[in-house]
Amino acid sequence: MSRKIVLWVSVAILGLFIAVALAAPLLAPAGPYAITGKPLQAPDSDHLFGTNEVGQDIFAQLVYGARITLLFGFCSALLAVVISTSVGIIIGYYGGIVDEIVCRAIDVVMPIPMFVLLIALTTFFSPGVLQVSLLMGLLGSVHGIRIMRSQVLSVARTSFVEGAKAIGASDFHIMFRHILPNVMPLVMVKFVTTSQHMLVMGVGLSFIGMWDTSTVDWGTMIQNAYSGGGVALGLWWWILPPGIAVVGISLALALIGYSFEEKFNPRVGVNRI
Amino acid sequence: MTETKDGVAGVQEQPQSPRALLHIDGLKVTFSSRSGPVRAVDSVDLILREGERIGLIGESGSGKTVTGMAILGLLPVNAKIRGTIRYGDHDLLTAPDRTLQQIRGNEIAMISQNSGNSLNPVMKIGDQIAEPLVIHRLCPVPDARREAIRVLSELGFDDPELAATRYPHEFSGGMRERILIALALVCRPHLVIADEPTAGLDAQVRARILKLIQSQISGNRTLFLITHDLGAASFLCDRIAVMYAGEVVECGLAKEVLSLPLHPYTQGLIASLPSAGLHPIPGMSPSPASLPRGCRFCERCPAALDRCDCDHPDLFLTECGRQVRCFHYD
Amino acid sequence: MIELEGVSKIYSRGFIRREQTVAVDNVTLSVKKGESFGLVGESGSGKSTLGRLALRLIEPTSGTVRFDGRDLSCLSRSELRRTRPRMQIVFQDPDTALDPRMTVKDCISEPMKVWRLAMPAEQKERVVGLMDLVGLQPDLIDRYPFELSGGQKQRVALARVLALKPDFIVADEPTAALDLSVQAQILTLIKKIRRSTGLTLLFISHDLQVIGQMSDTVAVMHKGKIVEQGRTRDVLENPNDTYTRHLVEAAYESSAWMGKNR
Repeated sequence: MSRKIVLWVSVAILGLFIAVALAAPLLAPAGPYAITGKPLQAPDSDHLFGTNEVGQDIFAQLVYGARITLLFGFCSALLAVVISTSVGIIIGYYGGIVDEIVCRAIDVVMPIPMFVLLIALTTFFSPGVLQVSLLMGLLGSVHGIRIMRSQVLSVARTSFVEGAKAIGASDFHIMFRHILPNVMPLVMVKFVTTSQHMLVMGVGLSFIGMWDTSTVDWGTMIQNAYSGGGVALGLWWWILPPGIAVVGISLALALIGYSFEEKFNPRVGVNRI
Repeated sequence: MTETKDGVAGVQEQPQSPRALLHIDGLKVTFSSRSGPVRAVDSVDLILREGERIGLIGESGSGKTVTGMAILGLLPVNAKIRGTIRYGDHDLLTAPDRTLQQIRGNEIAMISQNSGNSLNPVMKIGDQIAEPLVIHRLCPVPDARREAIRVLSELGFDDPELAATRYPHEFSGGMRERILIALALVCRPHLVIADEPTAGLDAQVRARILKLIQSQISGNRTLFLITHDLGAASFLCDRIAVMYAGEVVECGLAKEVLSLPLHPYTQGLIASLPSAGLHPIPGMSPSPASLPRGCRFCERCPAALDRCDCDHPDLFLTECGRQVRCFHYD
Repeated sequence: MIELEGVSKIYSRGFIRREQTVAVDNVTLSVKKGESFGLVGESGSGKSTLGRLALRLIEPTSGTVRFDGRDLSCLSRSELRRTRPRMQIVFQDPDTALDPRMTVKDCISEPMKVWRLAMPAEQKERVVGLMDLVGLQPDLIDRYPFELSGGQKQRVALARVLALKPDFIVADEPTAALDLSVQAQILTLIKKIRRSTGLTLLFISHDLQVIGQMSDTVAVMHKGKIVEQGRTRDVLENPNDTYTRHLVEAAYESSAWMGKNR
């Protein structure tokens, strides 16, 4: 019973974040860049979370910044999951030499730390949020391929897949109609957990200035506050809101991921006679 | 072998008959599920005497496995159990966990399906066989090892001391079966429960296991065989009880029941064997979640009477000592 | 209908140190059209592998497999796929033979969808007809496999295979995982279907008595080789080979208790 409550609360929190991000223009009509008050004002009736060092409303920045942070997180996760699922299904189903090649390639790429790779890339060109998101999706899929592949392997060797082959179904039909639905639970769990990682990663990348530091998202907000001396000066409203927002959504996603996993993983089951 | 009477309490017992080892009285097991209560076992009475070999025959859904698990206290938490299972001074259904642990493996042992594969692959077989002795503190560790070696030589291993230092994968399937049976018997249990020991095995392996069980479970040891394999029951058992839809429908001496079955279900079961011509029993056994009011076999019975539909038959005793749950024998 | 000539299947593992397991060793047999051919052997004898080789679900390492006169290995991938509806297989384990995420209706209509044998409107009708043929109650049509018993699942598997009106069916121990009375029902069903459609059957089992009831001709397999072949009655009454004799004796022993009821 309590597990269900946890799940629904997490879903509600996630929904809240998404709703807020979508409704940003309604909640903060002035926009994140408008200077609406005196610098470093504590929270009051006009500014829910106070203002930053140039007088911009932190609440407005938070809700607009949510759009970029969330978009980054979910888009790169979506790309990663789509790639890893498709590749995983193809190599798991066909096996053979393609499987060997891809696995060895993954073995080579996996140990390379993503961060380092990304930083190296930025020395060559300064990417925008979208490009980094695509890149992260690509790199993030690598790890997932392994997991999807092993799940696909266990499904592909079952009698019903063999039966489908015996009926004369085409490979595509089998992969799409039989294998995919049976690995879907894993795909959903992967999406939620990858979103969580990508989101936090996105905040981290933005914090170190991966893309244009003038864009307003939670990472740059934290960077601003941190380098502007927010911590030292004890200006909690400047530095805490984005941080808590990140923790909040990260926690919500993690909990949703866990409850999905319990629900869908047949091994975590009750003894049946 | 002294003549044994059938197992319902209240039937007069001869003074020389061996003592009752296990007395299952009015066992009822109900599982609570989302669609309502599931009556897996409905009022089973059985007496197992010392030295007897009893077979519980039934198909899946008959309740036989649940009965076996109830004896060892292995039912899941959502099972509502009623009745008593008396073993010595204890009622196994209400005994505390510690008592049950003492009894399991030590006095009541179990041989399960697919015996060849249930050994711990990273433990030497000498240690594995000695383990139950050590757990139940029947003797100190060095003695336990010696006992394991002795058991191995009894089972026909050529160099038992060397064998005891080997790992399961170094033995053939047949050897592993023997090791598993040794494991079950090492504490010299009074009662051995064999749960479908021949399931899924082909003819030769099956014959081997049956001969092994027969030779090892001898003397005063009691065997409780749970199976759907009629041939195994005929080979190993003195008495059999046939279960259908959670109840015992026929009970009597093995040879008699199998050569002259009285209950229509038993008759149908024997007729559906390949060697008897594969005559199927039409229909399906009732779901334990929705049992019919009258006789549970009525729907599929070729000899159903009018009253079978609305009245539920008791176990009637016939002159030859057989118990049959059928109005034809009222 | 089906001819296997010198068919072998050798599995090898590892790149450097090639470990070889011979599953099927130089087997030659032929199944005539409309015949019921039994393949008997203990587990590990290669009979299941042979059944799959007959349908070219597995590639033979050597030898030829001919279906209705045509060499299967000469067919291209798509030609082979198009031949599939005529030769089908029923598996041993009902629990894994059906996609757990498809309802009974989906399972049985899938072959129709793949080969476009019927319009979507007709499909449901056909499914109900097939369910009736295999003895499934029509109200089970929207159930999932986990809601069905072993016997019911095997019937669904059978209905699915019959949807394609095959000429040849390989039954790989279809009742090994089922209870006695259900076994009798399913086997009688298979016999009835064979009689009404005249299809060719390759029946694989480890149970000699079942084979005795189901097949006209039998081949005994041991360690990948066929050790004896012939009409079932002849092989069972007068086995020539030692291994066959062991099998027959073991079978006789296990039913000896039946005595007069034979």
